[in-house]
Order: sequence, then C-alpha cells, then structure tokens
Amino acid sequence: MSRQQVRHEYERQLEALEASALESLDFVVIAVDRTIEAIEHRDIELAELVVADDDVIDGRYLEVHQRLLTLLATQAPVAGDLRVVAALLHLMKNVERMGDQCVNIAKLLPITGHEAPSDEKIVKNIVTMGRQVRTLAKQSKRAFAERDVELARDLVRQDDLVDKLNRECFQIAIAIGDDLDMREWATTMILVSRALERIGDNAVDIGEQVAFVVTGLFREFQDASHPGE
Amino acid sequence: MRGSLTAGRSSRRLEIGFKALLLLALSLALITLTVLIVDIVADGVGGLSLSFLTDVPSQIIPENSGIGPAISGTLWLMLVCAAFIIPVGVATAVYLEEYADRSRWFNRAIEVNIQNLAAVPSIVYGILGLAFLVRGPLSLGNVVLAGGLTLGLLVLPVLIVAGREAVRAVPPSIREGSMALGATKWQTIWKQVLPAALPGIATGVILSLSRAIGETAPLIVVGAVSFATFIPSGFGAEITALPIQIFDWVSQPQPEFKTLAAAGIIVLMLILLSMNAVAVWLRNKFEQKW
Amino acid sequence: MSDRTMTEREDPAETRASPAFDLSGAVHGSDGGAEAPMGKAVFRLEDVTVSYDAKPAVSEVTMDIPHNQITALIGPSGCGKSTLIRCLNRMNDLIPSASVDGRVLYHDQDIYGPEIDAVEVRKRIGMVFQKPNPFPKSIYDNIAFGPRVLGMKGDMDEIVERGLSGAALWDEVKDRLDTNAFGMSGGQQQRLCIARCLAVQPDVILMDEPCSALDPISTGKIEDLMLELKREYSIVIVTHNMQQAARVSDRTAFLIVKLDADEKHRQGRLVEYDRTEKIFTNPSDSRTEDYVSGKVG
Repeated sequence: MSRQQVRHEYERQLEALEASALESLDFVVIAVDRTIEAIEHRDIELAELVVADDDVIDGRYLEVHQRLLTLLATQAPVAGDLRVVAALLHLMKNVERMGDQCVNIAKLLPITGHEAPSDEKIVKNIVTMGRQVRTLAKQSKRAFAERDVELARDLVRQDDLVDKLNRECFQIAIAIGDDLDMREWATTMILVSRALERIGDNAVDIGEQVAFVVTGLFREFQDASHPGE
Repeated sequence: MRGSLTAGRSSRRLEIGFKALLLLALSLALITLTVLIVDIVADGVGGLSLSFLTDVPSQIIPENSGIGPAISGTLWLMLVCAAFIIPVGVATAVYLEEYADRSRWFNRAIEVNIQNLAAVPSIVYGILGLAFLVRGPLSLGNVVLAGGLTLGLLVLPVLIVAGREAVRAVPPSIREGSMALGATKWQTIWKQVLPAALPGIATGVILSLSRAIGETAPLIVVGAVSFATFIPSGFGAEITALPIQIFDWVSQPQPEFKTLAAAGIIVLMLILLSMNAVAVWLRNKFEQKW
Repeated sequence: MSDRTMTEREDPAETRASPAFDLSGAVHGSDGGAEAPMGKAVFRLEDVTVSYDAKPAVSEVTMDIPHNQITALIGPSGCGKSTLIRCLNRMNDLIPSASVDGRVLYHDQDIYGPEIDAVEVRKRIGMVFQKPNPFPKSIYDNIAFGPRVLGMKGDMDEIVERGLSGAALWDEVKDRLDTNAFGMSGGQQQRLCIARCLAVQPDVILMDEPCSALDPISTGKIEDLMLELKREYSIVIVTHNMQQAARVSDRTAFLIVKLDADEKHRQGRLVEYDRTEKIFTNPSDSRTEDYVSGKVG
C-alpha cells in the first residue's frame, strides 16, 4: 500500500513561504547590481533608488517573519520542516543585512560627489568584488533551494576572493597619495569594499543554514576567531 | 504499612461454599427439566405419527385420535393475535420511546400500567375477553376472533416492553444524523429507527406469540371447545387450540389418552422451541453492533 | 559592467513600478493586515444564551461567522462550545429542556423566529458529529437517504457519486457501494458522514469534534478535506484539539467556563474571537494566551 499523503495545505504554505523568502535574495542581487553600477558610473540617482527600494527587502523580511511565526504557531512543524523554518528565520535576517549594506554603500556615494577623483584600479577592484558578491548571493539561493550542501560549502571558497579583493582595496587606498580629495574618496571606497565583504559573509551564513537544513548540524563553515582550522 | 497478601482462610471457604450453592441450584433446575422431558418423550413418543397431526380427536377410539383441529385452531388464533399485537404493540412502543414526554403524569401512568399488566394472571384476561369481547360491548361470540384478541391483550405488554427495548437500542446518534440531514421526525422513525429496530421487534413478536401459544386458561374462559370434531377455518369459527386439547386428554381417565396428551405436549414443545430458536437466530443474525 | 546586469537593470522610473518591487504585494502578504475584512457573514449571533432547564450553559455570545471560511470554537470541557454549535442548526430542539435566547441570524433571518421550520433550517445547515454515525445501511443508501427524504430530483447514482467525490471517498468505495457502511474504517465512516451531508447540498457544515475518534492520518485527511470544502461551504468546527483549530481554521473563538456567583452553576462565555493566527501568535486576552499555550485547562 502506498503511503498516504496528507496535510497538503500545510505543505503548500511552507513551500510558498520558502519561495517568498528566497525571492528576497533576487532583490538583493538587483540592489548589489545597482549599487555597483552607481559606483562605476557615479550615478547618484541610482544610488538613491537603491536606498528607496530597500523598503521592499525590509517589507519582505517583516512579512516572511510574521508568516513564519504564524506557521510555527498554527502548524507546529517538526523535524525537517522545523529546520527549514528556523533556517528561513536566519536567512531573512541575513538578507535584510545584505540589503542594509547596499544602502550603506549607496548613502556613501553622494558624499564623494559627481566630480570626485577616482582611481581606476580601486574601481575595477570594487566592480569585480560586486560581481563576485552577486554570484555569492545567487549561489546561496540556489544552494538553499536545491538543498545542495556542496554548493553551500563552495560559498566559502568564493568568498575568499571577496576577502582578498577587500584587502587589496585597503592596500591600494593606503598608498593612494597625498591629494586630500583623493584620500577622502579612497577612504570611502574602503568602507564600500568593507560593506561588500560583509554581504559576502552573509551569503556564507546562508550556506551554513543550508547545511543545517540538510544535515541537522548547526556549525560555522569558517570560524573567524580560529582561522585555518 | 504492608499487609499480608494471602487471603484469609474463612473468606476462601465462604467463597467455595457460595459457589457450590449456586451450582446446586442450577443442577436442580436442569435435572427437573431433563426428568420432565424424558418422562414426556417416553410417554408420548408412541402416540406420534403423521396421522396424529391431521386426525380429529375421537373419544371412542383413542388410537385414531389426532390434533388436526387443535393445530388449525392454534394457527388461526395466532394469526388474529399477531395481526392485533404487531401494529398496536409497535405503535405503543414507538410512542412511549420517541414521543412521550416523561415529565407528564399520564405518560408515566401508562408506563406503570403496562408493567403491571404484564404481571396480571392470564385468567383475568380470559374474564376480560368474556365480558368485553365474547359478550358485552363487542358481542363477538365464542369465536376465533375473540379468542385471538384475548390472547393478544394478554401478551401485548410483552411485545411493548420488547419493542421499547429494540427502539431504545437504536443509538440517538442515528436519529441525530437523520434529523441533521433535514429529515422530519416521522421520516427518521419510519426510515431509520424502525428498520434498525426490526430484528429486535421481530424477536419480541415471536416471543409474545410463543407465550400466547401455550395459554389455556383464558381460552377456556372465553369458551374454547375441548372436543372439536371440526377443522376451524376462519375468524368466525369456534375456538379450539393445542393446549386445550392436551388439557382435555389429561383429564380423561384412560391410559391411552395419557399417551395422546404426552404426544400433544411433545408437538407443542417442538413448536415452542422452534419459535424460540428462530427468535434467537434473528437476534444473533441481525443484531447491530453500534 | 556585465550584459546581465544591464538586462536586469531597467529604466529607474519603470523599475519603481515593476512587479518584483510591488510594495503592496510584498508587504501585505496573503495573511493580510491586522484589520483584514471578514467578508460576508453567514451567521450573526446576537447575545445568544443557550439554557438547559432554564440554567444557562453558554451565555451572551455575540459573534459573526464568515462565509466560505472555517471558524473554530475552542475551549475547555464544559465551556458550551458543543451546545453553541448545536444551536446553529436547531439540533438543541431534540433536547426538550433546551432553550435559546438572543438571536441567531442566518443570512439575516432569525432561525429561532416563529415562522421558521427547524427541518428547513437543517436542510441548509448540515452537521457532522463527534462519533461517526453511519446508518446501518449500504454506503449507497447512506448517501441517498438525505436526497430521498428531501425529494431531490435528478439521477440518484449521480448524486451519490458527487457526494462521495466531494468527500474524497469515491475512489476508495466505488467498487463496494452496496456493502454495509459499518464495514468501513472509522476515518472512512466519518468521511461518509461528510459525503452524506454534502449530498443534500447544504450551505453550511457544522462539525462537532469530527476527529476526536480518529487516528492522526484519518484526522489529516479530514482536515485536508475541510480546507478543500471551504471553497464552496462555510464550516464551523468545534474541537478540543487546539492544534487542529490552529491548522485548519481561519477564525477562532475561545470560550471559557465561568462559575456563577453562588459557585454552583457553570456556564460558558466567549472570551476572544479573532483571526486564528492572531489567537495563536498574539492573543489579546491573557486567558486565551494561557489556554492556547497549554498552561491552563
């Protein structure tokens, strides 16, 4: 006798909730893209749009959070479903932080102004970082959707490149020279680089949640306080 | 505080003594029954034959005597009795169970009366039948109709009690289920309660008739003919019945009639036993486990 | 700047109105805001008090029961939730000592009004009971009974099939329609009772603890069925299983038992009635909170 499938409505709710949560990562990707383009083209209007549209990510965060609580209260998920719900709560927090980092960057841009000096190397570095970070965000979404632990672990490797570029930015900025405007711009770019690096870290955190959902083990891929272990 | 787990000697002895007493009572009843049956069968088996069932009784030649008219008379009486008690008994049972408001005094009075009627001696019913059916208001005469109705009155309380039990055994959830679908009370009773109670009611009818079939006293009072040389055929025929015939033979001095009486008893007992067997079978086969 | 980024980036003005960024859709999800409209009411209870022998069992209940939704009544034993649901289709009439005060408006008509026939009420408002109560008849006759006594026109075979399909039972029993309904499992019997109810095409289905005698899988099936049925029917369910109310209902009413001043007579009272997720995530009344979190019976 085949096993009987019941609680269709609950299954449907949980699936819809996960899709809704993961979709917010698409919003992050768009925000990252716009942020990078704003830096590249010094497009302050676009930067303002990033700030304004962060409301969408925040709104989704609040909505999914509320729906997750309702699901916990009304459907009492257990085992695998419970891990998914817990992981989604984490994930939404990470997504919200990723959006906030984009906002942080976007708010820095008007300070530098349209006519600020710039260093081609740093801009190139930041654009590369941006693309890498968008890849990380996309990959974290795919890893979660497909419950792919290997893909999730790969995020750590991908994030190493972001860390490396971040350190390079720092080095270049320190050696930028004596021009005051240039130094101000370069310092701002350090903050931008730092923010992008944080987005990458958040993507790695999402990867850790994938591992938790699949294996039930809750641990960090990479311990910042004990590197290399 | 820990008491001894072993039972006291005296209480054990009391237990055994009580059990023995009960067994004694049971075996006494069983032995009496067996002796009775064996005695009757030994006496009457010689008188049994096919012609015994069809022949008319004869006072001159006991060997040619039979119970033909008695069986026929009994069948007619039972027909009248059943035709009377089934509608009246079932309707009364349904009324008392489904409609009667027990907080009303007259409903309680009816209930008490029915219980009392079951305990009234059968001869009293005979007098009632004589006064009201044979003579009195109805003046039916000494006929099968009057005899059957008299027997019907006698066993009506039995059927009412059995019918009420059968109706009560149908769980309220069936009525609720039916009413919740928009059925009226009458539809619910007619299409759900009565069909579900039918096996119980049928059992009650058979048990009532088997009580009626063995009755002698009321029939004698309403004027049953003990020496019937005719085969009764119809409601207006004169009354005769198996127990009446047996009673007549038993009171004859000749030993041949004793054999005939015993044979008649065997036939009557076989009819009774088979009726009861049918009742038991009905109950077991159609009894609904709710 | 990659091509991909270019394709995803549209003109800012356009992007603002693009579906992916539809603020209204993103913020107000399917669960709706706190003041979500209840929709059309199928029942309006106004100050309803149900008494047995003039002693109130449940008092002064005022609530609206929405159309095409599942409304759950929960509360401890003796809070009068079964009594309350039974007054919605006048099942309490079967108990001579019961009486109802206040008004029970069904589509704006007081079902206890003087010109109302209880039988007509029950045709439109079906009921499923605590213990499955199939009739001691064949599966077919169980379904056909209602339509027959109501004199419904149409092909009876079709009516029976529609009823059984509606209760997700057709495939399981279509080959044994003429066998006795008592041969079915408890869960099947209960779905048969639901099918029987559907066959007379009611408007509302009342369920009085429909799963209390069933195992979890059968319970899950009935719950799935309820969610399916609410597209076409309004459902009111009494349950002692809070989790069941949480899982299936859209709105939940919580009743408590209150002792009278003389502490002799107990009666039920409505404490809180709200959207189910509100009751289970953030109830307004502390008594509701204690009950749903299992701290107080």
